[in-house]
Amino acid sequence: MTRYLMTRLFYFFLALLVLSVVTFALNWLFPGDPLTNMSGIRVGQVGYETMLASRQFDSTVVQQYLNYLEHIVRLDWGLSLSTGTEVWQDAATYMVVSAELVLLSFLLAVLIGMPLGMLAANYFRHNIDKVILTSAMTGYSIPVFWLAQLLILLFAVQIEWLPITGQINPLYAIDSITGSVIIDVLLSDSQYKLAALQDATLHLILPVLTLSSLPSMLLLRITRNQTIEVLQKPYVKAARARGLSQQRLLFKHALPNVLQDVLPQLTFIFGLMMANLVIVEHIFNWPGAGAWLLKAIIERDYPVIQMVLFTLMALILAINLLVEVYRGWRFPMTREERYGGY
Amino acid sequence: MSKRSILVTAFTSFFLMSCSEQTDVPEPLQNGLIYCSEGNPESFNPQRVTSGTTVDATASQLYDRLIDYDAAQQTFVSALATDWQALDKGQRYRFNLRKGVTFHSTDYFQPSRTFNADDVVFSFRRWLDIDAPYHAVGGGFYPFFAATGLDQLISDVEKVDAYTVDIVLTHPDSSFLANLATDFAIILSKEYAEQLSEKDQQRFIDTLPIGTGPFKFVSFKKDYHIRYQRHEGYWRQGPDIERLVFSITPNANKRMLKLVTGECDVIPYPLVSELKSLNREEIEVRSEVSPNVSFWAFNTERPPFDDPQVRQALSYAINRQAIIDTIYYGNAELAESILPPTSWASTDAELKYQYNPDKARQMLRAAGIQPGFKMDIWAIPVQRVYNPNARRMAELMQSDLAEVGVDVRIISYEWNTFRRRLSRSEHDSVLIGWYADNADPDNFFRPLLSCAAVASGSNRANWCHTGFDQILYQAISTTESAERKQLYQSAQQLLMQQQPLLPIAHSMRYQAQREYVKGVELPPYGGISFRLAGKEQPAQ
Repeated sequence: MTRYLMTRLFYFFLALLVLSVVTFALNWLFPGDPLTNMSGIRVGQVGYETMLASRQFDSTVVQQYLNYLEHIVRLDWGLSLSTGTEVWQDAATYMVVSAELVLLSFLLAVLIGMPLGMLAANYFRHNIDKVILTSAMTGYSIPVFWLAQLLILLFAVQIEWLPITGQINPLYAIDSITGSVIIDVLLSDSQYKLAALQDATLHLILPVLTLSSLPSMLLLRITRNQTIEVLQKPYVKAARARGLSQQRLLFKHALPNVLQDVLPQLTFIFGLMMANLVIVEHIFNWPGAGAWLLKAIIERDYPVIQMVLFTLMALILAINLLVEVYRGWRFPMTREERYGGY
Repeated sequence: MSKRSILVTAFTSFFLMSCSEQTDVPEPLQNGLIYCSEGNPESFNPQRVTSGTTVDATASQLYDRLIDYDAAQQTFVSALATDWQALDKGQRYRFNLRKGVTFHSTDYFQPSRTFNADDVVFSFRRWLDIDAPYHAVGGGFYPFFAATGLDQLISDVEKVDAYTVDIVLTHPDSSFLANLATDFAIILSKEYAEQLSEKDQQRFIDTLPIGTGPFKFVSFKKDYHIRYQRHEGYWRQGPDIERLVFSITPNANKRMLKLVTGECDVIPYPLVSELKSLNREEIEVRSEVSPNVSFWAFNTERPPFDDPQVRQALSYAINRQAIIDTIYYGNAELAESILPPTSWASTDAELKYQYNPDKARQMLRAAGIQPGFKMDIWAIPVQRVYNPNARRMAELMQSDLAEVGVDVRIISYEWNTFRRRLSRSEHDSVLIGWYADNADPDNFFRPLLSCAAVASGSNRANWCHTGFDQILYQAISTTESAERKQLYQSAQQLLMQQQPLLPIAHSMRYQAQREYVKGVELPPYGGISFRLAGKEQPAQ
């Protein structure tokens, strides 16, 4: 296991290193001055000359890269070109804002996808299965931006239940401390906490629903297919022959093996959610990292683009690492599958 | 009940509770108003900008001026100055100031004294005197004052006593008071500036603003919202609402949606035709005749646009009536001159540049422009009162011009980039416009087409004509209306000959709001004002 862990960690850091080389190269590939792209200080601005020296721009490219790497490790991503504030300082809240949305959506996706998947598998080729599968296919085929518009039309315009933009009605004057609106409301000293909490929840519903649609449908299909496969294995048949109840069979015996194959898909789903996050945050004016990235791209705010790209990709890699390590620990044979025995 | 089913029940009931009809509206929502503005302000000091978005977010909300203009009565009324008189044959104006006017008290500044003459002197010197300590803060550029020539007109601002101020002019100017009543001539706090200087934080004067206006600044989150709080103890009648939020929503469709869902109480630049087709009775669309003009300016510094004949020929090629019908849905008037017909100086000129492609073609050939000639039209990327959709307008013109053998490329950058490159005169021609700041006809001519405005950047045609400047100068040196009318008429005739720009439309100004919103004023000159804003009944 130790050796497995070390290998995974090694690959993780290798990937990060390659990623950093790419973002470093972006400074030259973006139009404009490389140092400006890197540090957010414009040519001719105060401090440009000192920055030139401190970033070792008089030295070799390798030296510059090492210097860049050092800055990244210290989380020093320079200044935003559009606001002039430190990128990392802004980033923290944006990231938490997105994290709240992603976590809730992921939770919802698991809560919808896995039980329905198992239900469908349990009624394989029955009508229930067909209904679930058809609706999953439909849900899977609707693009996120389209689904968002449909939901807005239905819930906000036609029946006027739900708001469509932002985390909370700005009149509640809840200060963004952590970024997570639920936590911010609880931390605030507003007299209207309960009303604010209710308002924040209403604001969460549409974005969470939209962001979780694709992952939940994916999970549903994967879970269904895996469960069907597992249920046909001899050991399940043997168990059934011994008179185990279907419920016990499903949850006690089939589920662990299903999870084993569903787990690696989570990384893929997470990556997919990151891509959709940008769209969902833009549509619902969600003040998170995805919308921030999109604005940075429109405004050519290179330090921000670099930082968000790197962090999102590093996050995906980290999730991948976690899933693999957990899977390796929980299901030892997957280690063997890959590395033949050690 | 198992643990799981308790959880499920709790979740469902919370969900249902959230969805259920709200019987009473929480207090913060009752006493607050959300205005969905169309963009980020560039600064919180209108002295430094001319963009309507910034003026809307600052001028009438955070600040006051010495005098205001009452559009209904067509007179100047007292504001921070209680009364004023012209001395020395109109070369010196004496203002008596109001006593007991308080500045905003916020967590970043607590005023120790009320408004007095020092604040007036400080506020005017900031843009007037290049040696003033705060002149260079934020770049030292004050486009409105440069464009109207106010910085040349005023020779000094003198404190006579604590509540009396004299403004000395280099020569009598009949547009002076009108310019003082604009959104740009606001009063800042000298005490606040001094405190910032001590802490060496001068830059905050325009980002954490302090004024005497009906609202005080609370916070600004770029791309999301600006928060204001009512200024308790405002010197005249203030708003009913306690909180004001500008929710920044650049997308016109989304603004409309948010108005429908009740997330906005008031929106600017609504999609009028679409909103009306929704036919919702809780939404009111208001319109106001507005002194504005949209035009197509030729960069007269660049050949071949330095040739009046080319400019005339291109003007004949444009079907302006089609533009009015398509872009403005008929909610605008075809512009014969840059001066709107509502101005007292306007005269009934006949429409000279009737759509006539044959004539345009002939004139172009005569001027030596061959078929296949290429030019750029820059179209502003944002909606403005005077132009709801410049890109679409440029497309219509593109096809009009293709008819006469001119090949048009449409250029539209992101707004900040657009303005920067425009001020560097990188354009062949641009579709832009002007929104009057005051009732004086001079406000349409000097900021747009004088030689001084070439330097300050608001003369998008880069057109400098000494004869024209001479007429404008004569017109502001007299207060005799008939004579001024005569002079502006000759100025307009000269413009028609020279055609540095083609006036296109005078548009109506629109605003949409929920029906319970009261007192949100849309003054004909300048930005929106929430000074008397209130809600008639609680929102549902």
